[in-house]
Amino acid sequence: MRPRIATRVGAWLGARQPIERLALLRIMIPLAVLGFLSSRLAHADHWLSAVGFRVPDLGGDWRQPMYLPPTPVGVAWAMAVTIAASGLCLAVGLATQPAAAIFALLVGYTTLADRREAFTVNKLAPVLALALFLAPSGARYGVDAWRRSRRDPAAARPTEIEGGVIRFFQVFLATMYSASGIAKVRGDWLTEQVLWTHLHDQYQTYVGWLVMRILPGWAWWALQGLVLLFEVGAPLWFALSSTRKPALVIGLVMHIMIGIMFGPVVWFALLMGSMLVACYLPEPFLLRVRRWNPAARFSRSLRRPC
Amino acid sequence: MRPHFIEHESESSARQRRTSVEVDSVEMSFVDPPAPPSALAPAWAPLWLRRAGAVAAAIYLLSIWLGAAGSRLPEQVLPPPLRFFTQVAELFPKAATDAIEWRVRGWRCDRGTFEEVDVRPFFPIRRDDKENQFDRTMFFYHRQRAVLEALDEYIVAAQNHQRADERIGGVMLLSLRIPIPPLGMPGPRQHWMPIADYPPSVARKYWYSTPPEVRQKRCRGTP
Repeated sequence: MRPRIATRVGAWLGARQPIERLALLRIMIPLAVLGFLSSRLAHADHWLSAVGFRVPDLGGDWRQPMYLPPTPVGVAWAMAVTIAASGLCLAVGLATQPAAAIFALLVGYTTLADRREAFTVNKLAPVLALALFLAPSGARYGVDAWRRSRRDPAAARPTEIEGGVIRFFQVFLATMYSASGIAKVRGDWLTEQVLWTHLHDQYQTYVGWLVMRILPGWAWWALQGLVLLFEVGAPLWFALSSTRKPALVIGLVMHIMIGIMFGPVVWFALLMGSMLVACYLPEPFLLRVRRWNPAARFSRSLRRPC
Repeated sequence: MRPHFIEHESESSARQRRTSVEVDSVEMSFVDPPAPPSALAPAWAPLWLRRAGAVAAAIYLLSIWLGAAGSRLPEQVLPPPLRFFTQVAELFPKAATDAIEWRVRGWRCDRGTFEEVDVRPFFPIRRDDKENQFDRTMFFYHRQRAVLEALDEYIVAAQNHQRADERIGGVMLLSLRIPIPPLGMPGPRQHWMPIADYPPSVARKYWYSTPPEVRQKRCRGTP
């Protein structure tokens, strides 16, 4: 019995996946993280050096997991430029593996260096970038892949990858939603109206304010219940093929709502939404991307007689 | 080194071919176009590294889940800098009782009174929302005297450098607790207002004040 389960789990983990899933993750993860970090990178001196206010060494306080002293101003700017450059290189698939490693290390360092500017996006970013580092992320749809095909036009272009890294991202999403749902159940979500209360501070956008004016009170309870049901049951919804598509749609709508109603949380919504699409979009849609090939269309249109 | 791709027919391409057969039969066509051969992108990382990555991934996912579920196991097993990166899933678990605004009043050396100091220019990262470094410092450390003293010094130095004609000798750090309107009755749109414009129903809580002797000493000092 046990070997059969192990075999089935092994087969599930190793099942090959369309390479488009990995390419989409490689493009969207660094862009969403850079979008989030852009307001920090633009003020790198205030963020990382002693130009801005730095929390002193609290000697093991739980709010300060590690004290990292301020960097010189020049180093702060150099780190900001390197984070931006490595993130962009990763997104376009240029020197993909070194770019992913540098991006993961530097974002990890800066997240630890200023606990106050550590949010879900930059706490997740080093781990997600490391996963991209370990996978053949530059094998297609990027500059590295283009240069390889120029060197050897006859070589077959890869269409699939070994499934491990995609399984990691899929399980990560289910874990993240489920953990978040459980934390909500342990908090106030079963007894109090939480969504409404969190729309009344500086995160509130104009759209959020408009939605609050339009929706009746009971709708907030319905939305809260739907979010809770989606999150707590996420492992089940995404495991069953019959519920996977509705779960994808509900998850995307939830992230779109978060993005337009909660100001700076838009980058988190973009990160999670794009991971949802990359991990769970049905395969036929992904294969359309493969067949689309705008470069070939463009070159054909150039050859066409006027 | 030129990578080579392993050609084979995968489940997806076989499915694709089956689909085209079905479509063709509906269209009464006998053409069955061959599916393009699929090619596997080779892994660049050695097997041991991928296995180590898989073990680390399992520990990471388990830590996220256990931490959010209230288990103390990740706390006991992982060192704080690593555990920090697993504390990502507890997103808005509690209802807010009030909207909190963190503010500063500065001791004006020329007038001898406390007046509000707009500190947003001194903390330029996301200066207009609660992700800025001042709000986050107060959120995490409003009971940590050592941090508040360092913050006091920073704000006084920044104010006296940037607004030399409005010198201050010290600060009061406070929070405003703005009541959240009842469900279904949203108030006016949220925006930054001076402390003086808030009605008395908005409670003020003072967390720190520069000692008077320090204020006087700073005010006597050369600008």
